[in-house]
Amino acid sequence: MRSVSGLALIGLLAVPFIWDSFTAYQLGLYILYGMVGQGIALCWGRAGFLPLGQALFFGIGAYLAGSVLRSEPGWLLIVVAFAVACLVPALLAWIIGALVFNRQTGSGPYFSLITLALAMLGFQLANSMEWLTGGFNGMTGIGGLPGIDTYETLYFVIVGVFACTSIALAHVLRSPFGQLLSAVRENEDRLQFFGFNTGLLKAFAFAVSAAIAGLAGALYAPHQGIVTPQAVGFLLSAELVIWTAVGGRASLAGPVIGAVLIGFLAAGLRDDFRYWEVVVALVFIIVVLRLPLGIAGFLSQMLRMIGITVDRPRKPERTNELPPNSSEAAPDLRFVDVYAAAGPVKILNGLDIAIKHRGIHCIIGPNGAGKTSTLNAMTGKLPIVGGSIHWQGRDVSDIRPYLAASLGIGRKFQVPSVFTGLTIRQNIDIALWANRLSLSDQFSMEPYRWKTALLDRLETRFPFLRDDDQLAGALSVGQRQMLDFAMTFVTEPDLVLLDEPCAGLSTAETRQMIEAIAALNTETRSTSIIIEHDMDVVEQLSDHVIVMHNGTLLANGTLQEVRDNPDVKKVYAGGTK
Amino acid sequence: MQRREFVKTAIGLAALAGIVAKPFGATAFAADPVKVGILIPLSGPAGLFGPSSQMSAQLAVDEINAAGGLLGRMIEPEFVDVGGPPADATQAALKLWKGQKAEAFIGMHDSAVRGALTNLFKGQVPYIYTPVYEGGECSAGTYVLGETPSQQLEPVIPWLSAEKGITKWYLIGNDYNWPRDTNAAAKAYIEAAGGSVVGEEYLPFTVDNFDSSLAKIKESGADGVLITLVGGASVGFNRAFASFGLADDVVRLGTLIEENTLAGIGAENSKNLFSSAGYFASIDTPAAKAFADKYKAKNGADAPALNALGQSVYDGVLLLDALAKKTGSLDASAMDAAAEGTSYDGPRGSATLSGRHVSKDIFLAEADGASFNVIQTFSNVDAGNNCG
Amino acid sequence: MELIALYGLNLVYTIAVLALVVLGLAVVFGLLGVMNMAHGEFIMLGAYSALIIQQAGLPYILALPMAVLVCGTVGFLVEYAVIRHLYRRPFDTLLATWGLAILIRKAVEGAFGRDYKSIEQRLPGTVSVLGVDYPAYRLALLVVIVALFAGLLIWYRRSNTGARIKAMVQNPALASAVGIDTAFLSRATFIFGVSVAGLAGVLLAPLVRVEPYMGLDYLLSSFFILVVGGLGSLEGLLVGSTVIGGTDVVVSAISDKTAGYLSILIISILFLWLRPNGLYAKR
Repeated sequence: MRSVSGLALIGLLAVPFIWDSFTAYQLGLYILYGMVGQGIALCWGRAGFLPLGQALFFGIGAYLAGSVLRSEPGWLLIVVAFAVACLVPALLAWIIGALVFNRQTGSGPYFSLITLALAMLGFQLANSMEWLTGGFNGMTGIGGLPGIDTYETLYFVIVGVFACTSIALAHVLRSPFGQLLSAVRENEDRLQFFGFNTGLLKAFAFAVSAAIAGLAGALYAPHQGIVTPQAVGFLLSAELVIWTAVGGRASLAGPVIGAVLIGFLAAGLRDDFRYWEVVVALVFIIVVLRLPLGIAGFLSQMLRMIGITVDRPRKPERTNELPPNSSEAAPDLRFVDVYAAAGPVKILNGLDIAIKHRGIHCIIGPNGAGKTSTLNAMTGKLPIVGGSIHWQGRDVSDIRPYLAASLGIGRKFQVPSVFTGLTIRQNIDIALWANRLSLSDQFSMEPYRWKTALLDRLETRFPFLRDDDQLAGALSVGQRQMLDFAMTFVTEPDLVLLDEPCAGLSTAETRQMIEAIAALNTETRSTSIIIEHDMDVVEQLSDHVIVMHNGTLLANGTLQEVRDNPDVKKVYAGGTK
Repeated sequence: MQRREFVKTAIGLAALAGIVAKPFGATAFAADPVKVGILIPLSGPAGLFGPSSQMSAQLAVDEINAAGGLLGRMIEPEFVDVGGPPADATQAALKLWKGQKAEAFIGMHDSAVRGALTNLFKGQVPYIYTPVYEGGECSAGTYVLGETPSQQLEPVIPWLSAEKGITKWYLIGNDYNWPRDTNAAAKAYIEAAGGSVVGEEYLPFTVDNFDSSLAKIKESGADGVLITLVGGASVGFNRAFASFGLADDVVRLGTLIEENTLAGIGAENSKNLFSSAGYFASIDTPAAKAFADKYKAKNGADAPALNALGQSVYDGVLLLDALAKKTGSLDASAMDAAAEGTSYDGPRGSATLSGRHVSKDIFLAEADGASFNVIQTFSNVDAGNNCG
Repeated sequence: MELIALYGLNLVYTIAVLALVVLGLAVVFGLLGVMNMAHGEFIMLGAYSALIIQQAGLPYILALPMAVLVCGTVGFLVEYAVIRHLYRRPFDTLLATWGLAILIRKAVEGAFGRDYKSIEQRLPGTVSVLGVDYPAYRLALLVVIVALFAGLLIWYRRSNTGARIKAMVQNPALASAVGIDTAFLSRATFIFGVSVAGLAGVLLAPLVRVEPYMGLDYLLSSFFILVVGGLGSLEGLLVGSTVIGGTDVVVSAISDKTAGYLSILIISILFLWLRPNGLYAKR
């Protein structure tokens, strides 16, 4: 496999000898654009959010490097300048990403429009600040790199840098961090319930993309000898996205293919055909309509059709067994007079609950009693307007979902919520990493080897979990419920919140699930809160039953106790609601 | 995942190797014809001037070829689109220079592209820059034909101030180098003419609403407005200006209002509008008329309107011919040594090279409906000091 | 005093024109979720429809049906060939319409040339309002825009169509389940949106430059106005136009146009960051 990439590198290095040095010079520019596109692919194809103003970082890198290169500096200074040209855009992107993603989950158009507006802002400032940038006419007189001929040998420097960043990016994509970005794209909410601060993950990916853009920009400065505001602007930003889309946003090769192909296509047509832009426009309308994964996606599909499969590399065996992760402390969950509302509708109405014993606690109650909202309130999904919630002595009243998870609260939703575009193995990896993955682990391959005793037992109980390469999206609803359940327990939470775990299961599957819940609760010595409608299930599982009605606690105790409670009888006998 | 990504990269790049850049293999025999790169905008914001530039250049090429060619060699013009950002323009020029062995370049494009090209050519190939610009270009091998601010304004401002009684000028332009430099020069001439500047404003390229500027002009009591807005912005501004009824009392002077811009401004919005340039389609001299007739005869009555920018490329070819004749070759350094004092006669009158720029006639025209009337000619105006 | 009146009139006019320009995009982006980068090009098509009528020597009022015809036809073709495959894929609509914008520009360039066209001033001259001489056409345009929005507000609130579009947007599966022809309604909405953009082009043509690239002027500010105001409601559109137009007019008056432009961008960024659902967010 590596030999193929090696061949590609040799092919690139041979271009100046097969054709000529100015073709290579031209190719060098498109490779620089392609590098920026690789950063866009990391954000867009991998993590699912589209940066629309990437030229901002490219331009900043170019202006920074350009201003240093004007004074014909030595290599040391140049290396420092290039580092700064990476770090400044990265830092800027990190700040933007952290600020924006901290407030917004999902990948709507807002982030994209913010980056677009920032690029427009950058263009105008570059234009107006003539004393700094040379204004519209550009920063001129930028020298080449010492000892390197701009039109002959600079190309090799570009190819070298490109090879290095591609290898680095490929590692990032393959590392746990890269897999987490895929999970962000697939299901950002669910990832938060595994304790990952998805906002920071996205901000970091954005910073990486900006660093690459800055580096490409820094090389652009000596390549062109001039930097103008167009290098920052909206048009280049849009073109970079288009090249990425045409080439293929799901791979590292795609953006480079896109930039190089469209670059040469436009350059070739430009001189002979007045309406060359029409051809380019048609190409990418067709790509958007017919080839959602771009030319690179199309090529690998073609290869698959003629029998050449570019195999998904096998993940390493799980060899490194981790110690159990659960805490020994007895549970202490308290809801004190909690109120919550959605618009004019009151959902929780002075709810008081206390759970101080391990075991299985079932919440029952009629529809609209506020059962799911209770779970939402303690995991940061529902802001409360009165009262307070405490877990293990800590106030979790307005906690963020990822923090709730890091405090040992695991949650499974009613509708199975897994990463459908990822394999079973990848799904389980992510659950296994919850609360365990340190920052340095995110970029090491070691976490792929992790396993736990609990995972072994879960795989024995649900054998389909060993079907590593199966896509989670291809599983039946019942299997997805079980995968989701297994992932929830794999994190070894101290408090497990299960919302109707048997919904949609067949009778046999229900029986299997009930056994699993009972067994795992005992094995992990955890505390489970289960919302359940099926009284048979409640009867078999519950150590303690909480009855809710109209957003308040109606009764609690053993199942027999609540059955005998007159208030409960009244409600269930067809009372008020 | 990484390996798969990597393999995809590899396959993709390998595929590319087969497609990349095959047209550049064919090298020209440096035999008889001489290739001249003519760099004009055919796309982008200035693309409007592409066709008239190309037709003007072709006319000059045909004439020179009919008269025996450039140093006895037929000119083969290579028209290249440089309407995009400088990076695209350098690629195109490099391809022409190194790949197709063009021996001289004539460019009609913005200053950002010029900066990129002088950095590319580094004085190794003759390069003639033809459009109106802000002045100050002094690179080796580069010859500038276009009007500088001092040429356009030094004689015009005193004359117009006296003729129209303008004392209070408002300067408005787009927010970039050319308007700022033009206005810097204008201020000195206004003061020398006894006037004062009552306002100065620069607008981003994206602006399409000029209300606040018009209110400020009204407020300032200006009786003259110097307009260095370009293209669409100039059209929009002048239309709004007239719609507010300002045109009756306030004189407008533009240094880049050519025939297309005037057509966009519209006949009913052009009252009291003046333009200063080295060329107008309506110049009433035998040379200019002959040129306009030939242009119409060759390109038909519906040909793109003649204008100072497009026509400048015609003069660019003439200047190249004159320089080559005086030098006896197209060698850039020999040409640099011989260039000073080169002169030629064209539709704009006679022009003489001095300090890489040309001294030439400047025309002041008044808009009459949708066309210009030249009302005053200033002879042999110097381009000012550009190499200081 | 006169100056304040002038600035006040400019403010009202600016906001009204922005609202007019954005209306078409509000329908296409706000209701259908199509990030139509060719929005400005439909305004341009409207302006060229006016040019056709002017060149044919017909009464200017006929430019309005002409624009509906031109933009409606182009809109139909575009929806049929491209957009209908891309509903619910906003980023892809952005890319595809970016390509469409280039195609439309080049088609117009091929048919009419690249040069500036002048649409004759309608109602030339000025009218004295509050002591200010204000262009008559602008005042007439103000009246038309106000009437248009009043009518739209009433229609949208009352008519079944508005409710259907809302239903379709909020839950397409359910909407088709209750018998709403979502494919037809989407197409009709798209055509309506781009035709409105064309009408805006006709109304603005006598005031602005007319050339194939004029559409870019209107595109980005339209997006910012929509997001600042909040998608999917006429009220949000008006609020957004007021915030963006007001910022521009006030800052440009106090400082200069560059500062006005920069403050629009900064305000847009702040809103996108802090109030992504807009000032007039739907519940």
